[in-house]
Amino acid sequence: MDSPSTSNPQRPTGREGLPRAYEVRSERERLLEAMVKTAAAKGYEATTVADVVEFAGVSQEAFDEMFESKEACFLEAYDAVFDVLVAHVTAAFEAAAGEPWPEQIAAGLGALVELLAMEADIARMAMVEVTAAGDDARERYRAMLTRFTPFMEKGRTWSGQGEELPADTARFAIGGATSMIFDEVRAGRGPELKRILPDLVFAVLMPYLGPEAAEDEMRRVTRES
Amino acid sequence: MGKQAATNVQAGAEGTGSIRAVESLPHSPKLELVNSPKREKILEGMLEAVGAEGYDSTSVRTVLDRTGLYRQAFYDNFADKDGCYLAALEMGIARFEALVVRGAASEESWRGKLRAGLGALLDELDAEPDFGRGVIVGVHAAGPEALSRRAEAMKRAADFIDLARDDSDESEEPPQIAPEGIVAGIHAIVHSRLSTGATDGFRDLLPEFMYFAVLPYFGADAASAEMQAARA
Repeated sequence: MDSPSTSNPQRPTGREGLPRAYEVRSERERLLEAMVKTAAAKGYEATTVADVVEFAGVSQEAFDEMFESKEACFLEAYDAVFDVLVAHVTAAFEAAAGEPWPEQIAAGLGALVELLAMEADIARMAMVEVTAAGDDARERYRAMLTRFTPFMEKGRTWSGQGEELPADTARFAIGGATSMIFDEVRAGRGPELKRILPDLVFAVLMPYLGPEAAEDEMRRVTRES
Repeated sequence: MGKQAATNVQAGAEGTGSIRAVESLPHSPKLELVNSPKREKILEGMLEAVGAEGYDSTSVRTVLDRTGLYRQAFYDNFADKDGCYLAALEMGIARFEALVVRGAASEESWRGKLRAGLGALLDELDAEPDFGRGVIVGVHAAGPEALSRRAEAMKRAADFIDLARDDSDESEEPPQIAPEGIVAGIHAIVHSRLSTGATDGFRDLLPEFMYFAVLPYFGADAASAEMQAARA
């Protein structure tokens, strides 16, 4: 953690674009990294423990000692990856704390697409392969997405509509955005994810602010990108 | 097997293929209308099994146990579990779309059509939650082909929603992305409920779904009014 680049997660500088946090020391970390890369490259279904072990340069025995199964390894790797995503988005959202809420949201989304565009493996693993990795992983994914809810729910106060907005507004907004990201990453357009940032901004803000204010912010983001 | 079936169909177009190969080809909804009660029963059983137990835990055996049919009936119709699920998914999507179309038919306005169509779909989820879960949640575990079917269905739903432009004031039209966001958002809420095991309460979501769909085309006042109307 004393590497200079860890203080700036927006600029991953590791080999092959991995953030420093993933340039790993321990066998456990090497296995988790190998799981991310292998699941991203081959798909979760096709990934075997043998692939992961080989990629990590770690023995099968070591794997068996640390993880009950391929799925257990995937879930742990998934948690680690999502922690990075949430930390990155939170940092951008907090950094824009003095700005109006729509701009804060745009900043958070901007950070998200920036990281996902740069980290193709993380994007594929966190947004696509997780939905193929069994019921526990899908449940984990669903729960992880709710970590973005607090950013959304500030929109209730900001819009002045509070509890008048439907109960599922945050889920609607997050669901819309993640579905768009899912489609792009699945189609292999992850590296150009920034292109859909204005669309994401509109989709997330619209349920809170209505179409006109959401489109204003969408235009602002388009001008600035 | 899927690939082989497709090859046979190509040959069939030249007069040498078999009907069965044609039946197993995705994208041939007309040919699938060849009515087979056993086939229908298996497709239904597949979706219910996947909905109740999850895709990974479902096997050909599970489906046979549910339907009370013999192995032969399964393998007469499908190459394997994945092939069967794909056909079942198409059947499930077609059923949902038919319900929406039928529900919407008696209405004139876009809002009326959406309210009736979406309402019919949500009623179906309340009536057959396992079937719905088999389609909406199960698809994510069933591979790239199944995900493509899902993407196509989402696109058709977005096109349906976007008919709102015909009814709305042209000066206030939302950006192109609007219908996709509506479908994805509504889908996320339904998916979330289904995947946490909900077996009812889907119809209760109609007011907020109408709010989300009406909002980008007609504005906040119309959306609130629509939500109130749908609650009544």
